[in-house]
Amino acid sequence: MDLGGLPILSAVIFTPLIGALLIALVPREREDLTRWLALGTALVTFGLSLLLLPGFDPTAPGFQYVETADWIPAFGIQYKVGVDGMALVLVLLTTTLTWISILASFGPIRSRLKEYMISFLILEVGMIGVFLALDLFLFYIFWEMVLVPMYLIIGIWGGANRIYATLKFVLYTLVGSLLMLVAILAAAFSFQSATGSWAGAFDFEQLRGFGFDPTLQFFAFGAFFLAFAIKVPMFPFHTWLPDAHVEAPTAGSVILAGVLLKLGGYGIIRFCLPLFPDAAQQWAPLLIVLSLIAIIYGAIVAMVQPDLKKLVAYSSVSHMGFVTLGIFIFQPQGMQGAILQMVNHGIITGALFLCVGVLYERTHDRSIARMGGLAASTPVYAAIFGFFMLASLGLPGMAGFVGEFLVLLGTFDHSPIAAAVASVVVILAAGYLMWMYQRVVFGELSDFLKGVGHHLTDMDRRELVTLTPLVGLTLVLGVAPALVLDLIQMPVGEVLARVGGSLVGAAP
Amino acid sequence: MSQNDLIALLPLVVVVGLAMAVVIIDMIVPDRDDLVGVVASGGLLLTLAVIAVAGPLPGGIGLLPVEGEQLFESATGGGVLVRDQLTAFLDLLFVMIGLLSLLFAADYLKPRNLPMAEFAATLLFAISGAMLLAGGRDLLILFLGLELLVLPGYMLAGYAKRDGLSTEGAVKYFLLGSFSSAIFLFGLALVLGFTGSTRVEEIAIVLAGVAAGDAPLSLGLAMGLALLTTGVAFKIAAVPFHYWTPDAYQGSPTPVTGYLSVGPKIAAFALILRLFVDALGPLKADWLPFVIVLAAITMTLGNLVAITQDNIKRMLAYSSIAHTGYILVGLAAYAAAPVRSYAEQAGLEGVLFYSAVYAFMNLGAFACVAALQRRPGVTSQIASFAGLGRRAPLLGAAMFLFLLSLTGIPPLAGFWAKWYVIQAALQAGGLVAWLAVLMMLNATAAAFYYLRVVVYMYMREAPDAARPVSLGAFTRVGLVVSAAFTILIGVAPPVTTAVIDMARQAAQALL
Repeated sequence: MDLGGLPILSAVIFTPLIGALLIALVPREREDLTRWLALGTALVTFGLSLLLLPGFDPTAPGFQYVETADWIPAFGIQYKVGVDGMALVLVLLTTTLTWISILASFGPIRSRLKEYMISFLILEVGMIGVFLALDLFLFYIFWEMVLVPMYLIIGIWGGANRIYATLKFVLYTLVGSLLMLVAILAAAFSFQSATGSWAGAFDFEQLRGFGFDPTLQFFAFGAFFLAFAIKVPMFPFHTWLPDAHVEAPTAGSVILAGVLLKLGGYGIIRFCLPLFPDAAQQWAPLLIVLSLIAIIYGAIVAMVQPDLKKLVAYSSVSHMGFVTLGIFIFQPQGMQGAILQMVNHGIITGALFLCVGVLYERTHDRSIARMGGLAASTPVYAAIFGFFMLASLGLPGMAGFVGEFLVLLGTFDHSPIAAAVASVVVILAAGYLMWMYQRVVFGELSDFLKGVGHHLTDMDRRELVTLTPLVGLTLVLGVAPALVLDLIQMPVGEVLARVGGSLVGAAP
Repeated sequence: MSQNDLIALLPLVVVVGLAMAVVIIDMIVPDRDDLVGVVASGGLLLTLAVIAVAGPLPGGIGLLPVEGEQLFESATGGGVLVRDQLTAFLDLLFVMIGLLSLLFAADYLKPRNLPMAEFAATLLFAISGAMLLAGGRDLLILFLGLELLVLPGYMLAGYAKRDGLSTEGAVKYFLLGSFSSAIFLFGLALVLGFTGSTRVEEIAIVLAGVAAGDAPLSLGLAMGLALLTTGVAFKIAAVPFHYWTPDAYQGSPTPVTGYLSVGPKIAAFALILRLFVDALGPLKADWLPFVIVLAAITMTLGNLVAITQDNIKRMLAYSSIAHTGYILVGLAAYAAAPVRSYAEQAGLEGVLFYSAVYAFMNLGAFACVAALQRRPGVTSQIASFAGLGRRAPLLGAAMFLFLLSLTGIPPLAGFWAKWYVIQAALQAGGLVAWLAVLMMLNATAAAFYYLRVVVYMYMREAPDAARPVSLGAFTRVGLVVSAAFTILIGVAPPVTTAVIDMARQAAQALL
């Protein structure tokens, strides 16, 4: 498809920025204009990202729609963006969830609306930029760009304990990312001293083919991985997540779970493995064990959570454990499953947070113990909540199933014991999710909810508009996962070719 | 003394002349505060133009280029002053610092009935001292510049003379300052005694002999070098020679604190460049361990103590100590790198680039504090910032910007500064590369206390008693200038490249 010479990737990245600038000019009292302008911007961005699909060739290796411009020539820093199948699906996930989140914020966000919408759109710039950047320096800038808006979103529009949560989020993330910056520079410098020139020293495509020496690989992998592992979040770096989720406003949680966690998984596959393949092999056994711990630990802890958001947050730790497990078994099905799981988790968990938000809007409470009997009073809500609950536990025919299944399949090939351990969790997940659902939805209407009285209405039109597309996506990807798998086959093949095949030292 | 010598001296002459003009205006014109502000800042703008004329401007646009001109040359030892790219770079920076400090002070002094003219004259004399340091090639000139720099500093610290805290800070600053000057002078005397010269070039020749193993490093000379190092460490407020900083910074009137946190500090780094790189360069392997240790403890202790502060001026004081540590990493990179390698130059570039960026963002942050305190009675507690994002959106946004830059969040200038120093440190390799890692861990700790101010500004409500904040015209201009630099160095490639080029050529002039 001819795009008339439009630098389409830059357009996708910077459209939200233009929207944010426009919103900054809107007078404070024109709240509706601000809302619609934000939604409009997000929808235009979504539309632009869809334009990428027709011209995209999933069978072509490398990156497409590449744009390059010199930025700081003295250090060979470029503005370079490009897309492959993996980045494409994650960009689409981002643009989809962003407009849904902005629409979902229409009601709940009542104070400082302008700043909120600006933060949200700048957040989108950063997220899309991370997925599209092909220059390590540019990537780092987008990576950090995500941090500040999210810090504000949790800190200003969050719950009672928001300041603690947001500082914890920022500090955790910074520890990782600043060390990653050192590693980026070390890698670039190593390239520079080998080639004698800074040209291309931050260019991912150049660095990918450059064999770094083993010591550098070991430490640089550690630094990159720490940054990504904190974002994923991988056990034992996950403790910021429940706090951040509980305190964040609903839309913040949706983006946090839906996209921000994926930045970590994406970073591992895009940068850690191809740049430092030997170190990846060395680290893999440890990381497989940590993934298994995360899968089980997340599920067990989720089971005892009294707070709906915390429960979903810990289930994220467990689900994202499948992602890292799928990555580090270095096996095609596993890695495809990992990417698919990222997409599915983004959709399903995002939707679950929206569901919790719907309930919170009406009751201003999230404790499971106080709920009960919603099935009778709000049947539509109960049905949709139930749908996503089932999707999250991995019911076949829905999106959640395929990703986990592929990861388990790959893991079995690699180590049957690890696969057996991970499979147990599918049962645990069914346990904590169904038990939660049972307590919230079935039975008699609880005394607390009776007290809420006429405020306890079923979902309104706006809420249905936010959740229906996600229902659709969950079903479509459950039935036809090939839509995503076809796109990611090539990138996964390329990464695995770099890491060098499927078998590492056996996991315990 | 040739015509070129005169041209090369011109920037210094203009600043001193300006200071005198201010004193004269003060004597003959009644009701002169605004006039003085305009004259002094206009005069400093003129000085920027004069520096361009006297050249060589980094980037090569000097109108009358005086490339590495040695002034007042002796037969053997080179000039006592030199006018090269480094001098020009530092001159530009010092004049900018003076200009911004003046702008920020004008609106602060007036409501307190503190005279503007004396302030401006004192400040201008201090700036001329800094400029003398920038070109000094003789230990005596360096000492003269140093004293011309710090003596006005003591006066400025105690400028609010009816305020007990201000006087206390000034006394501490004065006592420890003169103590360290004495140590420095003692070291200077020993070096003179054992090398037979005060000329930087002649000392370098003697020390090159020592480094090459031709002559032993005598105890007296070693003592002299150690004392010089100690004296300078006091001036840059490196841990453990930093004890005067928090009290002096807390007590001084806020715009003065802003000036003290950048002006004398960067001037002391100019002294380090002239002394340690120019004269002691041959022995750099010997002083490297000290710099590594100083850098490590300075940044770590500065940050850890800053976390516990509730007073924003003390917090920024400790944060400035931490930044001293970051700049020292650049010096360590220079010292650790092999002679004549690119990494050696990169370390010096890092020192210069970081200093320039730090000047703008730190002055900006202090200016925001000063603007908030324009009306007397606003305390320096961080709680004073509560709800500022709503009470004064522009001031809040400016403070947010400077704090993000100090934290090192891309794409702001502070990020590039850290980046520059780290890449130099990584090139130097070895222990210094681990210093870069430590620096990044420190940056995380620093994020905590910088962001705590943001928490107050945006995430807490203002107390009911809080009154609206109004910005003065001078402050507005100053904030726009420093914010523009903080943003543009980060996001505008031509500006970034220009500053990188200037730092690079200044570093080359030194090597």
